[in-house]
Amino acid sequence: MSSPYAVYSSPQIPQKTFEVDPQNPRYQTTNGKTTGPSDYVLNAGQIDRDKPSDPKMDPSNSEVPTYLSKLRMELTGVQDDINEFLTKQMEVAKNKRVKVDTPKQKAKELNEFGEEEIEEDEAY
Amino acid sequence: MSNLHHTLEVKIPFKDNRLATTAQKVMATDPIIRPESFQVEYMVSEDDNGTLLAKFSAEDDRSLRVGVSSSLSSILTIIETMDELDSV
Repeated sequence: MSSPYAVYSSPQIPQKTFEVDPQNPRYQTTNGKTTGPSDYVLNAGQIDRDKPSDPKMDPSNSEVPTYLSKLRMELTGVQDDINEFLTKQMEVAKNKRVKVDTPKQKAKELNEFGEEEIEEDEAY
Repeated sequence: MSNLHHTLEVKIPFKDNRLATTAQKVMATDPIIRPESFQVEYMVSEDDNGTLLAKFSAEDDRSLRVGVSSSLSSILTIIETMDELDSV
């Protein structure tokens, strides 16, 4: 069977592809790492009632999942890959914003408190 | 939408066109809550038989992550339902 496949693009990253590695356990489970309740919530006693069902096995061969179960497991892995990648990208964008904000913030402080006070701060 | 420069295209190979079209119809009914910052288009591929194509575009990675993950979770539920109830 062919597997799910994704391509990302942004002004910073022209192309990033997401592919399934059929041997990797990440693509052999219906339980995603980046979806569902966090470990913290689960450890606090929450029961995950929306948990995806386990893969369904082929009636003629109980060792092999059905086509749709295999597709579901692989897409779950791709969803995790995409979520982790985009979370990292969000972090990158956040750090950029902090850097851009800093000079503006300094200018604001200069206006509000005058130069003398800022010089004192910078000595620390 | 000219400012939606963060894009993701996902190909999901269903077994046949009937299942891919069913998933497309189910997904297309969901309204987009903030169309100015996130858009999605679902289509059944003409080149790849039985493949659902989801084309997402957003103004930033944050909007893309929220929209894509939510849509993929819905598609996973559709696949789970088909697997359970539609034994071809």
